[in-house]
Parts: sequence; structure tokens; C-alpha cells
Amino acid sequence: MTASTTTLVPPSPRGLRLSKAIPGALLLILPSLLLSAMVIGYPIFDVLRMSVADVNRFGRVLGFAGFDNFLAAFTDPIFLQSAWQTLIWTFCVVGGTVLISVPIAIILNEEFYGRTVARTIILLPWAVSLAMTALVWRFVVNGDFGTLNTTLSALGLPFDNFPWLADASTAFGIEILVGILVSMPFTVTIIMGGLTAIPDTLYEASRMDGARGLQGFRHITLPLLRPFLQIAVVLNVIYVFNSFPIIWIMTNGGPANRTDILITYVYKQAFGFGKLGTAAAGSVVMFAMLLAFSVLYLYMTRSREVQQ
Amino acid sequence: MTSKARKSLICWGALSPIVVVILFPYATMLSTALKHKDEIFTFEQTWWPREFYLGNFADLLFERGFGQAIFNSLYISVGATLLSSAVAIPAAYALSRLRMPGKGAFRNYLLITQMISPIVLIIGLFRMFAYFGMINDPHALIIAHSAFYMAFAVWMLQSYFDTIPKDLEEAAWLDGASRTRAFISVFLPLCLPGVAVTALFTFVNSWNEYAMSLTMLRDASSQTAPVKIAFLTGTLYETEWNIIMAATLMATVPVAIIFASIQNYLVRGLSLGGVK
Repeated sequence: MTASTTTLVPPSPRGLRLSKAIPGALLLILPSLLLSAMVIGYPIFDVLRMSVADVNRFGRVLGFAGFDNFLAAFTDPIFLQSAWQTLIWTFCVVGGTVLISVPIAIILNEEFYGRTVARTIILLPWAVSLAMTALVWRFVVNGDFGTLNTTLSALGLPFDNFPWLADASTAFGIEILVGILVSMPFTVTIIMGGLTAIPDTLYEASRMDGARGLQGFRHITLPLLRPFLQIAVVLNVIYVFNSFPIIWIMTNGGPANRTDILITYVYKQAFGFGKLGTAAAGSVVMFAMLLAFSVLYLYMTRSREVQQ
Repeated sequence: MTSKARKSLICWGALSPIVVVILFPYATMLSTALKHKDEIFTFEQTWWPREFYLGNFADLLFERGFGQAIFNSLYISVGATLLSSAVAIPAAYALSRLRMPGKGAFRNYLLITQMISPIVLIIGLFRMFAYFGMINDPHALIIAHSAFYMAFAVWMLQSYFDTIPKDLEEAAWLDGASRTRAFISVFLPLCLPGVAVTALFTFVNSWNEYAMSLTMLRDASSQTAPVKIAFLTGTLYETEWNIIMAATLMATVPVAIIFASIQNYLVRGLSLGGVK
């Protein structure tokens, strides 16, 4: 899948231009490097430093603390619980998203009346701020005044005043569903891009060879979609793992920390309890988890490319 | 019934559950935003408002300074779009067209910047901008948003740039144009749709960003729209859902329209950009 970017050969002696092109290219990427090094690089350094420092609640570094902050995090049962819930959250949201996005993308790739309208509706959740989506859903599932219970009651179902967010398992379930809903448009977009790249002639040829039903899907669509699914999974894992507004706004990690994930745990440690050191250590653990995942991903895709 | 009509029915039928789930919150927003406050807190809830009440919008704009919040959001989003385009276009050009050592390293670097959530770094970010005296300064958000959304812009732009044939630039060179000149008068006009889509995408992301704005903009007068809306729930004793839904409606509908207008290009560009 890597684009083999062959260098343009300018219409003048090769060696001379090439040696000039190298600093020129670096000059072009320099602004982007500087910007991200400052805004992302420096805070990383700061967080790493705080994770091994004794920090007071105003952010003043009092001294070196070794691994005390990490120890404090790992001996906190809520941290471990949040870490476990983060895995459930990420797995369910990403898995659910991919499972519903593939059929949706396949349908949207068909020719039918109103396809543009359908596609616009499907992509709509992407356009809305996560904070606002979460806020609106919090109202939708509100036990007393929410429109979900109004509608379910009108349909004759026994959900009058059912407090969806008061119980940890229904609250987490609803948050996962909202997470799937907001991750789906991006995933559908990527998969649709993959589907348009598959020529129809492949299906026609396979049909002539006697393939029928889902065989075309299994032997043509899925293998050719693979790189697109991979990128969808890796990007979604990163976004979902770090996703903050849905849980923060809908339940604030409650009831009783049963819907906390690592990011809300870290935020609470920093801004709720003023434990900046523990928060920094938690951030470092999160970063290490994502780094491990990404390295694994890069390794897996690279080894496959070598095979091909 | 023609076969296409039957197919359309099946397709819409299969999509209908998800369509209902997506549109449900919009119906909720609309229905609630048009209700008077007294109608929200009754136990007899109806979808259809008893009377169409536009007072919530007026209240928001004139009493609660929501107009200011919209302006702040607009200022930050436009600034972030311009800054991130300014750094992403040269970088994407270099990745797409020039020979350069460490190209793979730069790509991995971009991926790593995407792995880091601003919220994980929020303490560090806050301390840095506080050091520069930029708390409450919209420019701090412009810089921060550009840095976090830049990587995606580079990926998308590079995928567009790769689709533009190199012959055209080479022809310009042969006609005696310099590299810069060929870039501006031949290359850039060709990839303008890609640049526009990328810019709009950055705009929407910046418009919707919540956590960094919440932390960096402490003054009520400097808050952006999403932060202002979340504050409407937090500061009041009883949550005024009618006001909040009116606010979410105002903040989402224009962006949704922008988004709907670019989605065609997005589908093309992003899928290419994502994989490379």
C-alpha cells in the first residue's frame, strides 16, 4: 500500500539538484515539525518529568520521587478498575463500530434511490461535537423528561421513568452505543473508499466461476478491504482509547467509578484531587499502552508488506 | 416495481434502524428547543411542543452571551484552519514530491502525534501556555488546535498531491518556470479541491473541540460554543434543557451543513489518505 514516491527528476544535472533538494525538503517540513514539537513535544516532556517527580497540587516540582507516582497509581483499585474498563470500552466500541460499518458501507456503495441522502445522514454524527452529542444523549436517556422513555412508553413498553444512567451496566452500555454511533461515520468513510477501489469485473468474473451468495464477499471483498480495515481499527483504537467527552459528560465516570476509563481517571486525579504526580503517571501508562499497540500494528503491517 | 426500486426499498430498510438512531437526537433537539421551559419539567412529555416558542434562542443570544461564544469559536476555527494549512501544505508537498532523508520517520512521527490525546497532556499544555501568559487567549487555542489537527491534514493533502500527475509540473519546468512558480501556478490550482476539503475538515474539528478549550479559556467571555453549552448544564441548579438544546441546535446545524457539502470529497480523499 505504500506509495512508491519516486522523486521528480528536475531538468538539470542530477547530482547538483538532488543535493539542493535535500535541505529544501527539510525546510518544507520544518514548520510542521516545530509546531508539533512545541505544542505536543514539550508537554510530553513535562508530563514525563512530573510522573517521576514529587509535585504539589499547584504544579510545583518539589523533588524527585522515583516510581512513587506509578506505585500510587498501580495500588489504587480504582486505577486498575479503570484500566480494565478502558479495555472493555475500547474493544466494544471499536469492534461494534467495525461490525456495523462494513455492512453500512457495502449498502451505501450500491446504486439506489436516495443514496446521497442516506450517506449524508449516516455521516452526520461526525459533524457534531462529541461534547454536544454526549449532552443531547444525556437528555435523551434522562429517566423523567427524556425523549427515549417518552417514545418507549408511547409504544407501550414499560420504561416509564427508567433511569438509564443510574445503573452502571446500562450507563456503560449506552455510552458504548453512543461511542459506536460517533465512530461509525469515519469508519464507513474509510471502508467506502476501499470498496470503490474494487473493480466490478472481479465480482462478474467470480460469478462466472460459480461463486454465489456470500462467497464473493468472503473471497473478494474482505481480503481487498483488509488494509482499509486495518487503518480503521488502528485509528479508532487510538481515538476511542483517548475519548473523553462522552463518558465525562454523560456519567462523569459514575456511578461509583463503574464507568470510569483511564482518561477520566487521570482527569479526576489532576483537576479533582490535585494529584498531579499520579495523573502524570497515569498519562504515561496510557501512552505506553498506545505505543505498544502502535508498534505492534506497524510491525504487523510491515511484515505483511515484506511478504507481498 | 423495477429492480432498482426494490433494491432501494431493501437498502433503506436495512439502513433504517441506524438512520432512526442518528436522527433521534436531532428530533429531540428540535422538539425541546422549541418548547417553553415549563413544558420540559412535566411528567406528561410529548414530542410536539404545545406552542412553538422561539424565546429560547433570543434568550441565548441576548441574555447569555452565546453570540460571543459563536464568534470566539469562529475566530479560533478560522485561525486554526489557516495556520494548520500553512504548515501542512509544504510538508505534504515534500512528502509527495521531494526526495528526503527520514521520510518514513516523519510519517511515524505524525502517527505518534495522533496517538497522544490532548487531554493526557492537558496539564503540560496548560503550564506551557500559562508560562507564555496565554491563558484566555484565543491564539493559544489556534496554535494548539493546528498542532493536533496538522497530522491529519498532511495525510489527506499528501494523498491528493499523489493523485496529481507529475508531468504537468515537469512541463512547467521545461518552459522555464522555477519550482516555486510551478508549485503556485500549476500545482496548487489543481489540488485546490483537496486543500479546501482538508481546510473545512480542520475547521469542523476545531469548531467541535472541547477539552482544550475548556481548560485554556477560563473567562466566560472567551469561551467557545461547546464549552459555553457544557457550562449551561454545570452552573445551574436545575438543568435548563430547553436552552441547552437550542444552543446545541445553533452550534451544530451550520457545521452539519458544511460537512454535508464536503462529504463527497471527504470520502474520496480520506480513504486514500488513511491508508498511505
